[in-house]
Amino acid sequence: MKVLVLNCGSSSLKFQLIETDRHRIETESDEVMAEGQVEKIGQAESIITYSSAKGDKIKETAVVLEHSTAIEVLLQHLTHAKHGVIEKTADIEAVGHRVVHGGESFSESAVITAAVLDKIRECVALAPLHNPPNILGYEVASQLLPNTPHVAVFDTAFHQTMPPYAYLYALPYVLYERFAIRRYGFHGSSHRYVVQRLAKVAKTSLAGLRIITIHVGNGCSMAAVRDGKSVDTSMGMTPLEGLVMGTRAGDIDPAIILFLMEKEDLELDQANNLLNKHSGLLGISGIGNDMRELEKAAAEGHTRAQLAIEVFCYRIRKYIGAYTAALGGVDHIIFTAGIGQNSAQIRRKSCQGLEFLGIEFSEERNQALNRKEGLITTDDSRAKVWIIPTNEELVIARDTMLCVSNGGK
Amino acid sequence: MRLSKAGVLGAGTAGKGVIRSLAGAGLSVVFCELSEEKVKQATREISEGLDREISRWDVTAGEKRLIVSRIVGTSDMRKMAGCQVVIETTSGDLEDKQKLFEELDALFPEDTVLISDCSTICISEIARKTRHPERVAGVHFSLPVHKRPIVELVRGRFTSDATMETVRRLAKLLKKKALEVLEMPGLVTTRVMIPYINEAMHIVMEGLVPPAEVDEAVRLGFKLPVGPLAMADKIGLDTLLKDMERLFKALGMFQYRPCPILRRLVRMGHLGVKTRQGFFNYDEDGNPTGGAINGF
Repeated sequence: MKVLVLNCGSSSLKFQLIETDRHRIETESDEVMAEGQVEKIGQAESIITYSSAKGDKIKETAVVLEHSTAIEVLLQHLTHAKHGVIEKTADIEAVGHRVVHGGESFSESAVITAAVLDKIRECVALAPLHNPPNILGYEVASQLLPNTPHVAVFDTAFHQTMPPYAYLYALPYVLYERFAIRRYGFHGSSHRYVVQRLAKVAKTSLAGLRIITIHVGNGCSMAAVRDGKSVDTSMGMTPLEGLVMGTRAGDIDPAIILFLMEKEDLELDQANNLLNKHSGLLGISGIGNDMRELEKAAAEGHTRAQLAIEVFCYRIRKYIGAYTAALGGVDHIIFTAGIGQNSAQIRRKSCQGLEFLGIEFSEERNQALNRKEGLITTDDSRAKVWIIPTNEELVIARDTMLCVSNGGK
Repeated sequence: MRLSKAGVLGAGTAGKGVIRSLAGAGLSVVFCELSEEKVKQATREISEGLDREISRWDVTAGEKRLIVSRIVGTSDMRKMAGCQVVIETTSGDLEDKQKLFEELDALFPEDTVLISDCSTICISEIARKTRHPERVAGVHFSLPVHKRPIVELVRGRFTSDATMETVRRLAKLLKKKALEVLEMPGLVTTRVMIPYINEAMHIVMEGLVPPAEVDEAVRLGFKLPVGPLAMADKIGLDTLLKDMERLFKALGMFQYRPCPILRRLVRMGHLGVKTRQGFFNYDEDGNPTGGAINGF
């Protein structure tokens, strides 16, 4: 089945056209036929990139003022006489939409019906920045491809298996009932993918396994996974909680914000900006939020860059400890996403001092497998640490195919 | 037609706020001032204003760079060619604005919407001297422009539906609630705010309490972020005096007759934050330094 995967942001749109079916899932032979993105939608000049499995690579600029135009542009490229990969848009058999927040309504992906769309809209209050562009992407795509089934795949769905003692905050219960304030967690498609991939590469069943997944990239989150199901995760009601991120603070004493609002006379949006845009690696280092830039500066002796990296890795170590306790032990730890896959230093520092958990780290493998997939602990290590590159688009494509196929998942 | 380029005439207190807001909303902005020196000064002050926003966690350094990259200043009105809307924010009287709008009317094609940011001068009168009055409308931004979530929109007697639609779209782009107000002097915000400030000035003149205590009483008593006299200093006492005189003349109501203190301060050149002294004293960043006027 040819599935168009769409990831719509407020001013950008990423897409992949993926050929997948049950056999391809079994044999891990799903094929990315084409991919690309449209950036700076609505601005004076948008940037369109497109590449196909045939080897075509295109980068162009155009005036793309709206998401409807962006999707029209990508469909034109996909059906292009020269570099296209399908003859006509009707060859697209399903469309998978990344939807960030599904609230408590969705623990699985869902074919988008009017009722499903209403529920997604109800979740806008929980994700006011993310869900609206996801919804817009669906509305536009469903007009351009009205006869094609559309499926929503939620970042939050994988974590809906958390028990109440893991997702409730110690706030008045009435606030949970009134506003659905609780931990939801994000990057669900990524955490789910790497867990399932682990089963394949380690040739093991997930039953009985205690796994900690570490997705560290643009956003950062960890998950505690038992029997293949999420039982806790570091992001909270919003993506702000948990690990140190590029510009997000992650965990802090909540009273700090009240203190700063009083002392510096901050308004709500200033406090929000402080936590989301001025903090994290940028806030501590004063240089930037890009780990590569910080690692370079740290190597050159920049003390605050070094400090930012130490804080980042220590937070991960703390969570490894916490989730080991939550799981009653740990069998596998998986690093994934941009930093997790590409920084040997971060993986090493995040695992430092964890020998008592049965981790025998192999720096040789850590270096050799950088940007690849594989085991970075010794063969004798009781708890195993892996690099597994993530692939959220593939999860969306597979879920979409399974949802629309006869019998579902 | 999507709005992507705007012109701003005048880069005073309100003008700088409008320029920063438009650029922050993603538009290319060309602003025009009377001289190259004033252009440089305004450019520097916009940059400094954004630095203050960074220090208040409002924007990041990257966002400032993006905003600044969208702004171009000029002393030649012709360099605003291509702007889809032009917003006039100068401080002149009706005759000055009529003259400006005649020039704009001659310079820009008739599909360019011409807007005056003013609450006390009649838009219909401004538009009367142009050849295309249907493309003239009024807006009134509250200060600071980029923070206040509301803008008043005014349809003049000649303003067309198409022009009003463009103005509404502009308000939406700036993420402001648009309040459409009938063309009456003072609109809503200025008309309500001026008697409040005027009364605070009378209290000071009568010697009830010093200025700081007037502001503190009102601010704490009504949980407001800033008191009436500090608000007057932010607006600019000369601007406030002009507005009061116009409203008193137009409406004939005594609550708009300027308090003698206001006239005196303006005569002395103490105009508020912009001159670092008004009812209170300020540093170069506009922060109060603790001093206030003392005796009359």
